[in-house]
Formats: sequence, C-alpha cells, structure tokens
Amino acid sequence: MSSYRYGRPALKSTVDVQLQTAFSDGNWSSVVRLATKRAATLKDPYYEAIKMCAQSQLDGTLEKCAMLVAIDDLVKAKKTPDIDTIELYEWACRDFFDYEVEYADTLGPLRARWAKANPGSPLALQCLQSCLENWDLVSAQQISTSLDKAYANTSDRRYMFWNIILTFLLSISPQCTDASRKVYSLLAVRQLERAADLTENSAKLEATDRGLLTEEEICLYYRVLHSHGTKEEFISRLKSPKLGAIGQLKDGRKVLFCEGLDALEKWGEWDLIYNLCREALTLGLEGTTAPFFVCDLQIWRKFASAASKTADSDSALAEVQATLKKYVDIKDQASAMYKKNISLALLETTFRLPATALNPNHDNAGLSPRVVQIGLFLDQYFERLSAFDDVKSYVAELGFDELKKLMEDVLPKILDEDADKARKIVLKALECKLRYLLTTCPQSLSPQPVVDGETKDKLFQCRICANATSLLCESCLKKLLVDASETYKQINGDKELLAAIPRLDKDPRLDLALVMGTSLLKLSKLQPRTSDATQSLWQDVEAGPFLQAVLLLDTQLRETPGDTELRLLLVQLYLLLGCVSYAYQLWTPLDVKRTIQDSLSPLFFDRISTLSPGLIQGPRPLMGPLRNFYEHSLRDKSPVRIWDAFSAGSYTSILDMTEFDGNLRRSCTMMMTLVEERRATRCYGGKIDCEIEEYILTENINDDTNLVGKTDYGPFPNLESVHGPSIHEYLRLGPGLSNERSHLGFLSEQYLDLLSYKPPKDYKPANASAVALRDREYTLETLTRLSSSMTTFLHAPTTPSLLTPAEHTYYTTLSLLSAALLIALSTPRSDPSPKTLSMVTKSIKTALTTLRTTALPHHHPRPGPKPSSSSPAWTSYTGTETHALACLHATATAIKHSAAFVLTFHDRELARDRSGRSGLHRDVLAEMKALGEVAGKSAAEVKGWIQKLKEGLAEGGWLDRVLDLVFGDQNDDQDGEDGVARAVEEVVAGERARRSGRGGWWRVGGRA
Amino acid sequence: MANFRRFRPDDLNKLSKCNLDPFTETYELGFYLQYYAKWPSLFQVAEDQHGNIIGYIMGKLESSPDVYRFSEHYLPWHAHITAVTVAPEARRLGIGKLLTEQLEVAADANDAWFVDLFVRVTNYKAITFYKNMGYSVFRVVKDYYGEHSTDPSLSSEDAYDMRKPMKRDVKKEHVRDDGEKHEVDPSDVW
Ligand SMILES: CC(C)(COP(=O)(O)OP(=O)(O)OC[C@H]1O[C@@H](n2cnc3c(N)ncnc32)[C@H](O)[C@@H]1OP(=O)(O)O)[C@@H](O)C(=O)NCCC(=O)NCCS
Repeated sequence: MSSYRYGRPALKSTVDVQLQTAFSDGNWSSVVRLATKRAATLKDPYYEAIKMCAQSQLDGTLEKCAMLVAIDDLVKAKKTPDIDTIELYEWACRDFFDYEVEYADTLGPLRARWAKANPGSPLALQCLQSCLENWDLVSAQQISTSLDKAYANTSDRRYMFWNIILTFLLSISPQCTDASRKVYSLLAVRQLERAADLTENSAKLEATDRGLLTEEEICLYYRVLHSHGTKEEFISRLKSPKLGAIGQLKDGRKVLFCEGLDALEKWGEWDLIYNLCREALTLGLEGTTAPFFVCDLQIWRKFASAASKTADSDSALAEVQATLKKYVDIKDQASAMYKKNISLALLETTFRLPATALNPNHDNAGLSPRVVQIGLFLDQYFERLSAFDDVKSYVAELGFDELKKLMEDVLPKILDEDADKARKIVLKALECKLRYLLTTCPQSLSPQPVVDGETKDKLFQCRICANATSLLCESCLKKLLVDASETYKQINGDKELLAAIPRLDKDPRLDLALVMGTSLLKLSKLQPRTSDATQSLWQDVEAGPFLQAVLLLDTQLRETPGDTELRLLLVQLYLLLGCVSYAYQLWTPLDVKRTIQDSLSPLFFDRISTLSPGLIQGPRPLMGPLRNFYEHSLRDKSPVRIWDAFSAGSYTSILDMTEFDGNLRRSCTMMMTLVEERRATRCYGGKIDCEIEEYILTENINDDTNLVGKTDYGPFPNLESVHGPSIHEYLRLGPGLSNERSHLGFLSEQYLDLLSYKPPKDYKPANASAVALRDREYTLETLTRLSSSMTTFLHAPTTPSLLTPAEHTYYTTLSLLSAALLIALSTPRSDPSPKTLSMVTKSIKTALTTLRTTALPHHHPRPGPKPSSSSPAWTSYTGTETHALACLHATATAIKHSAAFVLTFHDRELARDRSGRSGLHRDVLAEMKALGEVAGKSAAEVKGWIQKLKEGLAEGGWLDRVLDLVFGDQNDDQDGEDGVARAVEEVVAGERARRSGRGGWWRVGGRA
Repeated sequence: MANFRRFRPDDLNKLSKCNLDPFTETYELGFYLQYYAKWPSLFQVAEDQHGNIIGYIMGKLESSPDVYRFSEHYLPWHAHITAVTVAPEARRLGIGKLLTEQLEVAADANDAWFVDLFVRVTNYKAITFYKNMGYSVFRVVKDYYGEHSTDPSLSSEDAYDMRKPMKRDVKKEHVRDDGEKHEVDPSDVW
C-alpha cells in the first residue's frame, strides 16, 4: 500500500510526553536519542522499535535496512510482537512494499500471529484489513480462520464467509504453493457444501446458523462449485428446491438464474436450459414473480435455441411459441422495453424454428413467416434509432427471395401514401441502410461461369441488378449512393422536413451520410488492413471515392456534431490519412477520460508514435492521463476498494473485482501506453526516464503472462452483415491490440534498454575486471532470453496476422539483432570467423532493404491518387506510409545502436585490458561496423525525406490539390457517368452553402 | 434488445454508448467499484445484444453520519441514486424507469424511508423523468455543481434534491410540496 494511506501511528499512551511530542513533530533525531535512553532504563523492547522506526526516517540506507533485519528476525524466530510495535514497523516500512520487500514475508506473518493470539480483539480485524490491502492472501486466510473460530456462533456471518472466500482466493492464486492448492480447494468446497446441505435440510435458518442465507452467500457457493466441484454437483444443486435457480427466482433473486444458465450453456446442457427457462417464464405468468422479471432478450434466445436442440425439438419449440403467445397476450401491461423484447423474441423464435415447421408460403401475399415477422417488427419500430441494429442479423439470415420480398413488398407498405413526410423519410433512410446491408450479404450473389476472355475479377452475378460483379456489387453501391443523395437533397430542400428533424429519434441525414460514406469507402476498394495489406494506402485504394467519403462525412459531422459514431469513424479515417492533429481535434470532444480509457484509448493512441510522435511528446504529454489512470488504479497490490467488498459481505463482488484487477494489470492498453510513450520520446532523441522493466506497472509481466485486449468497438456505426469484417477493421491502420504484439513491444523495449544502458558515472568498482566479467555475463544472459522470447512470439502461428508488415519487419530485425549481438559478444577472438554472424547480418540487411523499398517513395513507382504526375509525391503520403516510414526509422536506428553497442563494448574492453584478450573478434567488428553504416545511411535517408515532407506541407495549397483529386477530372472519369461524384459533390456543396462557410475541411491541413 | 442484470466490473469496458454522451459523467475506477463493493444489488445495468451497456443505475443505502443526528439536515436511512443514464439510442423505452423502479424495490426491501437524488436544475429532461415517477423537489442546493452545464459564463449551478417516499414513510413525513422554496448550501448535504 502506498504511503499516502498510512497516517503516522499513535504511540502507546504510556510513552512520556517529551517523546510523544518529538515523534508527532517528526523530529527524528530527538526521537532516536530519547528512545535509546528509555530503552536503556525501562528495558521495554517497544522503545527499541520506536528508535529503529525513527532511524529509518533519517536518510541512510543502513538504518532502513536495520529495521528490515529486525522484522526478519521476528518472523524467523516465530515471535509475536505487540500490536503497537507491528503498527510502528508497518508504518516505517510503507515505502518498501512498492519495491522488493514482500508484505507476505514481513508484516503479514506478524499480523497473522498476533491475530491468532488475540482473535477476539477488534484490532484483529484491522490485521485482516492490512493483509488484504497488501494482498497477502496467505496471512489474510490465516487471520480469517482465527476470526471464524473466535466468532463461530455470532450473527455476524461474515467471519465464516471471509474464511471461505479467502481459502478459495488462495487456492486460485499464485501465492499458494502447488502442494497446498488442492487442500485449500477442497476446504473451500466442503465448507460450502456443508452449509448448502444445512440450508436445504432446515425448515428455517437463523442468522447464527452456518448455512447459506443471503444471495451473496449462495452465489459464492455456486462460483466455488463451478471452479472446484464437478458438473454433476453443480447441476444437481441448480435443480434443488431451495438453493436451485427456480427456488431463488421465487425469492426475487435473479443473479443465480443468469449465472447458472451461462454455465449450462458452456456445457451444452440444453435440456436443462430449456426446462429452467420454461419454468422461470411460467413463474412470471403465474404471478409468482413480477410478470416480466426474466423477460430479457437473452433468456428468450436461450429458451428458443435450447428448444431447437432438445431431443423432441418440435414440441419444445411449440412450447416456446405457446409461452411467448401468453406473453404477447399480456404485453399491454409491459413497459416499452419489455414489449420490444417480446417482439424481438417473436422474431428470434421464428428464425429458430426448423424450416419444416414453417409453411414457406402460408401468407397469401407469398411472404415467408420470417419476412412477415420482420415486417411486423418494423411496422412498430422502424422509427426507432435501434431498428436497423435490431433486425440486421435476421435480415442477413434471409434467403435471396425473401430479401427481395422484404425490400420490394414489405418495406414500401409500412407507410401509406399519405403518411407524414418525415416518417416517410425515416423509412427511406432505413431502406438505404438495408440496401447497403444486402451488398454485404453473400446471398445476393450467384456464381457466374467464367467465359474465356472475360475479366476474371468478376466471378459473380449480382442477383439484385443482374450485373457481373466481384464480391462487392459496385453498380448496386453506386445506385444506392445516388438514391441516398437524392433523399438527402430532398430533406435539405424542404423546410417542413428540416423543421421536423428535431422531433425525430435521429436526423435521417446522418444515416444517409453514413450509407453514402461507407459505400464510397467500399467503392474505393478499401480493405481491412491485415498483415498482407500493402504499405501504401493508394496502392490498393482509389483516392477519389475515399476522399469523397471523408469529405462527405466531415461535412455531415458539422451538421450533427454530437454524433459519436460518425465522429469516431472520422477520427479513424483521418488517422489513416495521416492527418493526426486534425484527428486529435475530432477526438478531444469525446472526452475519453478516467475509467473508460482502458477500452477506448487504443482507438486513437494505438500506433500513434509512428504517425505523430510530436503529438504525444509536447509540453503537455497527451498520454499522461492514460498513464496516470494505470498508476493510480494499480498503485496498490490489492484490487481497488476490495476491503469495502469484504466489509459489506459482497462475495461475488470480491471475486469479480479480483478478476478485473488481474486483467487490468495485464492490459494491452497499458502496455501500449508505455511503449508508445517511449517510442515517441526516442524519436525526438529525448531521455527515457527508466527501463521498461522498472515500471511498477510491468512488475509481474513475463512471457507467460497473457496480456488482455479490451478495446471497445461498440461505438462504431456498423452497417455490415456478420458475413464480413466490421467497419472498424477497415479503418484501422493495422490489426488491433493483441497479446503477441504487446509482448513484442515489451521485449523490443527491453532490448533497446539494454543497448542504452550506461553504468553510473561515479561508479568506480575496486575490481574492474570482475565487474566487467559480470556485466558481460549479464548482457549475454539478457540477450539469450530476449532472443529466445522474441523468436517464440514471432513464430507463433497467428503472429503475422496480428502485425502490420512494417511492424513484422521491425520485430524480426530486433530478434535477429539480439541473436547477432549474442554471437558477436560470445565468439572468442581466436576462433575462426563466425559464419552464423554473417548469415544473421545478411538477413538483417535484407529486412532493412525490404522496408526501405516499401517505405521510401523513390524506390518504387507510387501509384498515388490519379493526378499524381502533376503533384509532388508527398500528396500521396498517408498514415499507412508514415507508419511504415516510422518503422523503417526505428529499425535503422536499432541496427545502428546495436552496431555501436558492439564497437563500444570492444573499445571499453581494450581500454580496461590492454592485453586485448577480452576484445572482440576482428571479423565480428568489421561485420558490425558495415551493418551500422548501412543502417546509418537509411536513417539519414528517412530524415531527409521527412524534411522534404515538411517543406512540401509548408508550401501550402496542397489542400486545393486534394480537392482537385476528389472532384477533379469528373468529366473524363468513368465515375462521372453514373453520377456518383456529382451526387456527393451536390450534397457536400449544398450542405456547405446552407451552412455558408468554408467549413473545417480546410483545417485538415494540420498534418503532423 | 435489452437484458437487465447486475453490474459486473467488466462492464466498465463496455460503457461507451452511455459515457461518450456528454450528459453522462465518467468517474474514477474506485468510484464505480466502491458502489459495486458496497451495494452490488443497487448497481444494475441494461445491455444490448452485443454486450454494450445501454443504461445503468448506481445507488446506495445510507443515513447521515451519526454526528449530524441532531442537525436539521440529518437524513435518516434512505436510498440514494448516484447516477442513472441511458444511451441516446435506447431512450424513451422505459429503461431508465425500470432501472429506477428496481432500485426502489431494493429500497423498500431494505426498509428505507425514501429515495433521493441530485439533479441540475436545468436538466429538464431528467426532472420530468423523475417527476413522472413520483419524485418531488425537497430542497434546492445552491451552487452544488462546480460548473454550469449550458452557460459557460456561470461558474456554478444549483441542484434540486428530489425525493420519493417509500413504503416505510406511511405519513409522507419526508417529502414536502414547497421544496423549491427551501434553499440550502452544499455544506449542508452529505
Ligand atoms: C433521464 C434519462 C435517464 C431517462 O431515461 P429513459 O430510459 O429515456 O427514460 P424512460 O423511457 O424510462 O422514461 C420514463 C418517463 O420519463 C419521462 N421522460 C423521459 N425522458 C423524457 C424526455 N426527454 N422528455 C420528457 N419526458 C421524459 C417520460 O414521462 C417517460 O415516460 P413515457 O416515455 O412513457 O412518456 C435519460 O434521458 C438519460 O440518460 N439522460 C442523460 C443522463 C441524465 O441526465 N441522467 C440524470 C442525471 S440525475
């Protein structure tokens, strides 16, 4: 625990005033003097403790250690000091617990011993709290055992359950020895089993009985059983009358029911899921529980899907429908939310029924029951903001003929001819979204026989427009775009409609703009940027439609600045374009701060050091709040607020908070924060304050730690069907955060730390050669470890798909470099020239060349946006190129530093040992020198290129050229014929004219 | 579209739909976890089919500290709504109301006298929302909020302390009709 929590302890009241005063004034030298005197005269060891404690407050490592030695003696001698001495020691040690001193080896055992000797004292409880707040589970468990014994028959039930939950926590903690793990597991389960039996078998329990009484106690039992017991035990108890899921529901407790179903689902226990859902829903109908108590969508889903998996699925599904029918009958009593859940449940069950149970043509309009059901749902809900999301997955499941019916027969009939104009527009916007969805559904394509001579990229026929197409029907998208823009213009041209917008759930223009924007992105041939993506954005992507999309969405954001989805989409697009400062301007209003940073910051900050190191380097470091969040939340070893949960008897909270804390300590976002900050600092030649392994945050992270990515993509708009990637995958610079990438980042930083390590200047060891030998051994050990770890992560089968190509080269190079250094430093001078080294350096050079070729523009013809011939190369420079360029720079610098490391090492050895025997192999030196030179040249090249880029941007006017690119050669462009570009331009121009201003596109110029 | 269930800490990674809305404040981790630790059953969420949190309520049960027992501002055992929010896309479906009702059930089960909350006097939407559920203004806390939500030229904003009596308050002793006329300082409320 950090020092801020520890107030200075009060001395025993028997201590004289003079000493008390000196102590409370923090006058430590006086305290030492006085306490020494008192200890001599009174022969009370307490004064020795005061003395030591005061000494430790004076500067001087020796005094601090004296106190640790004293504590260690007490622990080893199995002595139990009095509580005041313990408090003194704990206070004096407070700063050590952040570093090497383990509470569990020092004060924990002393506290446990004291509590065991004085279990009835209120201070024993404080001992438990201290151990918990220092997350010393071994001592805490011991104390809880003493407390449980002392308070066995009180009505304060917490003592019993503290003991059980701590025994359980210990059994799943790394703090437990493997030998005792089993014992603790059994102990926890058996105690709870006994308690559960007592509850089941007694008519009524008193608070003093050792059975299970509260919802928290019961849920704790099931959690422990799930972890340490058998499936059979779990299931049999879940069916039991009192402690079973249904029994608990009758008492108004829903947690167990939900958690139980989750466990059963994992085990595939469909029969039981089916039965439990049916019983639970019946309780609501009978009035045993509130009518809609379990009417959650997930219960209906589980009910329907379990029914379809039972042996007699026909009758089970009939039962689901019958139950649902009863709910439909009482729907009017329900709140809007439950009404909607019931409507969705109707959809769900219709879609889960086997085809045989559905008469495909029983509607006279020739509509399938599935289409009818979607139609009924939309009848009620088409105006709601969430309507599209609600039906999306069902629509994507329809066959093509059904889709056609839905779009042609059902949707147009939702509203009458004379319906309200605004409602019609909302419906139109929904229709556009659905049409877009269809373009992402494979059912709308049919394979087309390839005729000789025909272009091979159009392997399909679109069943909607009958054109030959690739996986994505461009002509449908173009038509959709033009239609959407017509609607958009219609709204803008109609005062009545504009006036109606504030009354609607959502501005329909926003939906239309999103449809147009994503259609344009698809037309630009943008693909998810996975490992095989090329490093140049414009190599795959057509600049025209891509920039049109950005311009259009940007214009829309000005109209609806409060829309988070649109804003995030644009942030990503601008990052992809490399317009980082503008992306940051758009990001800031989202106000991602405090707790939500872990899940949302990667959306802006991942890979930011490769896009704009300057942005996060400046006087107010942008990543400061993120780092603070982790430092603040993970400052203590225990989960935040854990004692609150103990003292409130919230046992499931204790378990979940512990798990959450464990995940946060292994957060990929946290690792991203540290690595990005360091990279940016390095780019600017800044000083990195400490080695990455020295951060408290990385304390317990090693190769075996599974780093967890929790990035939240929920706030993105998503018009895509489940058959393809989500939109955010198209927009990212590369694959999202992952365990493998985070580890590689961590390891590469460790490698760079090793290279930049310099012994303190004033350190002049007496035996220089012994120290040099030890240093060399340490370096070799570290290199061996890093090389092996990096290789392992790089060679994991999924790793290449988790990195951008440039990152892959960077990490490969670093892993090769660590191997090269290992050979260089360990080859004896007398050996023949090491062949392996030249092989490794050759691979390094090849890697560097590959990266240079792709990242530096004059190495390959750059496709660029159309009029590239007339504009300078930098106009085609986007985020993807900047990223590759930064990786090239980092790679070249790492090579340069590695070579320098070897040469410096050699020089140092020569200076120390004039005999030259400890120096390095001649060939090694030559090899490394050559490597360093090659890398140095590349680094200089990158620098030169960046300089040019800067000058180019400073020239100004590049935005005009970008706009030219967007709408420029419309006339001779084929896009012009189908009117897409004109459609977009009209919307943008119209919107801008309406808002009369040049808008913010012009501000985009602030490229980093 | 929605499931109602108790909050779990992992939900903090799924708050974007609610918390990116400017009307919803994001707190430090310890703040959420304190509620989850002490009053887990009063921290309820609504989630959509993708696991996004589309609404939540965070509340507590308490009385004023004992030292204030004889103060005129002493609050007896009651439930307090610390935060309630619904994602824009899920508003007007009754989610906010259901979450609040759940908390009221818990308040009754714990024998609370009333449920109370603070709301900006300019948050008309929320005030209407509470009034429609039977809450009324009990007092006005002057300058309760450090900044003004709509007028940047003002450095503070008043709060309404709104209340709804629970079953225990049979005689409706803890509510009043003219609450708007009772002004107190922030230091008078805990
Ligand atoms: C206030 C808030 C929680 C309401 O949530 P909600 O789920 O939309 O509310 P409900 O659908 O349960 O509404 C219940 C009733 O409250 C009233 N109400 C809710 N929102 C209203 C609004 N915008 N205008 C007028 N009345 C409203 C209505 O009477 C409504 O019943 P009805 O829809 O049958 O007419 C939500 O608007 C919100 O999250 N606002 C931002 C955060 C906030 O201000 N929180 C309160 C801080 S103290």
